[in-house]
Amino acid sequence: MTQPTANCPNCGAPITFLWSSAVQTVCPFCRTVLVRHDVNLLKVGEAADLPVDSSPIQIRTEGKYKGRNFLVVGRILYEYERGGWNEWHLIYSDGESGWLSDAQAEYAMSHRVPTPGNLPAPNDLKVGNDVEWNGNHYTVATRTVAHYRGVEGELPFETWDKSDVPFIDLRSRDGRFATLDWSDTPPTLYLGEFVEWDDLNLTNVREFEGWPLR
Amino acid sequence: MGFRYGAYLVYGIIVLAFLGTAEYRGWSFVRPSEARIVPKSVRDNPGAYRSHYYGSGRYLRGK
Amino acid sequence: MTGSGTPLARGLNCPNCGSAVELRAGEHALTAVCPSCLSVLDAKDPNFRVLQTVEEKMRVKPRIPLGTRGTIMGGTYQVIGFQVRTIVVEGVSYSWHEYLLFNPYRGFRYLTEYQGHWNAVVTVHAVPTMQKQVVLSTAKLDGITYRHFQSASARTTFVLGEFPWQVRTGDTVEAQDYVAPPRLLSAETTADETTWSRSEYIAGDEVWKAFKLPGSAPPAVGIFANQPSPYGGIGRLWKAFVLLFIALAVMFLGREVSARREQVFSGQFVARPGANGDSTAFVTAPFELKGHTSNVELTTAGDLNNSWIFVDYALINEETGVSTEVAREASYYYGSDSDGNWSEGGKSDRAMIPSVPPGRYFLRVAPEVAPDGQAVTYNIRVRRDVPNALFFGVALLLLLLPPVMLSIRAAAFESQRWKESDHAFSISSSSDDSDE
Repeated sequence: MTQPTANCPNCGAPITFLWSSAVQTVCPFCRTVLVRHDVNLLKVGEAADLPVDSSPIQIRTEGKYKGRNFLVVGRILYEYERGGWNEWHLIYSDGESGWLSDAQAEYAMSHRVPTPGNLPAPNDLKVGNDVEWNGNHYTVATRTVAHYRGVEGELPFETWDKSDVPFIDLRSRDGRFATLDWSDTPPTLYLGEFVEWDDLNLTNVREFEGWPLR
Repeated sequence: MGFRYGAYLVYGIIVLAFLGTAEYRGWSFVRPSEARIVPKSVRDNPGAYRSHYYGSGRYLRGK
Repeated sequence: MTGSGTPLARGLNCPNCGSAVELRAGEHALTAVCPSCLSVLDAKDPNFRVLQTVEEKMRVKPRIPLGTRGTIMGGTYQVIGFQVRTIVVEGVSYSWHEYLLFNPYRGFRYLTEYQGHWNAVVTVHAVPTMQKQVVLSTAKLDGITYRHFQSASARTTFVLGEFPWQVRTGDTVEAQDYVAPPRLLSAETTADETTWSRSEYIAGDEVWKAFKLPGSAPPAVGIFANQPSPYGGIGRLWKAFVLLFIALAVMFLGREVSARREQVFSGQFVARPGANGDSTAFVTAPFELKGHTSNVELTTAGDLNNSWIFVDYALINEETGVSTEVAREASYYYGSDSDGNWSEGGKSDRAMIPSVPPGRYFLRVAPEVAPDGQAVTYNIRVRRDVPNALFFGVALLLLLLPPVMLSIRAAAFESQRWKESDHAFSISSSSDDSDE
């Protein structure tokens, strides 16, 4: 993979892209949020300091999921009234993008799918409701309004222009889930499933003192 | 539970073997008879033979 | 603590009492409990502000001390939290202990203990399929159907350690348990959400071994909701019974087909009244008993008419003189009274002489009839190797005995289990676990 490079328009530091299609990145030196327009990098804001957290995932963590290798290139830290979780943006070796979410060391893999026209109406998506949709049974698990607590690395969309993100989470009967990000209409749909640590064959993870990986 | 299954199979085979042999050889649960050696003269004088049941006879029930 | 990496452990002082509080799960902890004054602290707050103080200083000592590590549920986990939760059923409180286990990579797991019964618990992300039935409802997950066991309000009555959620003494959830031994599916519903978890019954000894605890696990009291039945293999036992029954049926049919049933003697005689056995005694012509050692059927059929005949038989081997004696009788009475016609007895009698080796034999026959009655004409018939269904009946009973006994005990076990449920009288055991 050829890695495009650029210089931070704010501090001039060299920025190497892990993913050639990144829309937004954060300068690791001055924490300026940068958005790519054609070949230029535009400074759009300043990223807040990320709070200390205890996720074992980090930028450049590598793994393998369903036979495909992936590399973690970015991260969004969401926060809501009862805590927060990380969505790690990852790039598969075939260039596709996906997400590894880490909520208190509960992991889930998901990817964005084109929003179908036949989505249930938001009013039908009350917590506990069962919906059948595209032949799959889902139960509405949570409706959450989260906000961006922080970003890091390369992302497939811009995050600087909004703060609150309404999410509707649906669970299936076999451990899969669907997440609707309703910050725009139509919403963005992500499909995924819960995974165990051992399912991901992760390397280059953050190690913790007193907790050897093997 | 494998042990219990195996033990039961062994038990069942022993039951079948024992009762199968009993049936084939004509065994009996009770001994309804007494065995002894009788002299050949019994052919000539059957009345002199004293059976185990001698004198037990039969008592007529009232009806 | 050795090795390199980001530290997870940290210490703080309780703002309420000043005692040292040790945290083990890094930034995962949302609340922590002061081990000395039991105040619940906000682990995310820089000053660890007090969220709850506890008046009642009831203390429960965890059987696995906080900080203990063990190899369990596929990884190394450390006990970081402990809570006692209580339900009240018909005025009686039942409390169980919950241990929160942590591994920074694998996440959180739970261990529960109730009176020596342990369960390893994981959170379930899938939504079980619920089915309400007339008698009870079920929840289906991953192809396993769990039957509703109990619904109750579970209140947190004691907390220790740290938790990745907001914990308070007095927190109440609506808990529902569904069982499919050795598994148990639980739903905990708060105002906000329903969380499902799946428990698997494990022996206390395994917990002791996993955490290298001193001494031995306390013995389990009673039967727990998802305790595997010690009679779980009963389905296989019945399958073995079917196999043995087929073998028995084949043997029975084989015997019915192959038995000789050979008539070796038949003769008609007359017994006159007034003489005793000695004077009427006679011997028959010799006859040959062939084949292997087997039984001899001796039939006495008399021309009986409100009379009886008693015969003292000896089957005597002509060469060896070995004699086998049987005394037989037949009696036949009939008449009529106010109830109608009646009859009693039969005109013939059948005796089996066991295990007679092959050879030449004759019968010594001493008949006797009623001294004041009529002469009786009777027939003696001797048959060699006649099948006797009794043996097969006995074999069938002996084969049935173990599975029937175990089925009864299994049903008793299940009724003990369900006695503790909401469905004490509505459920009989229908769960023959076919798995081991």
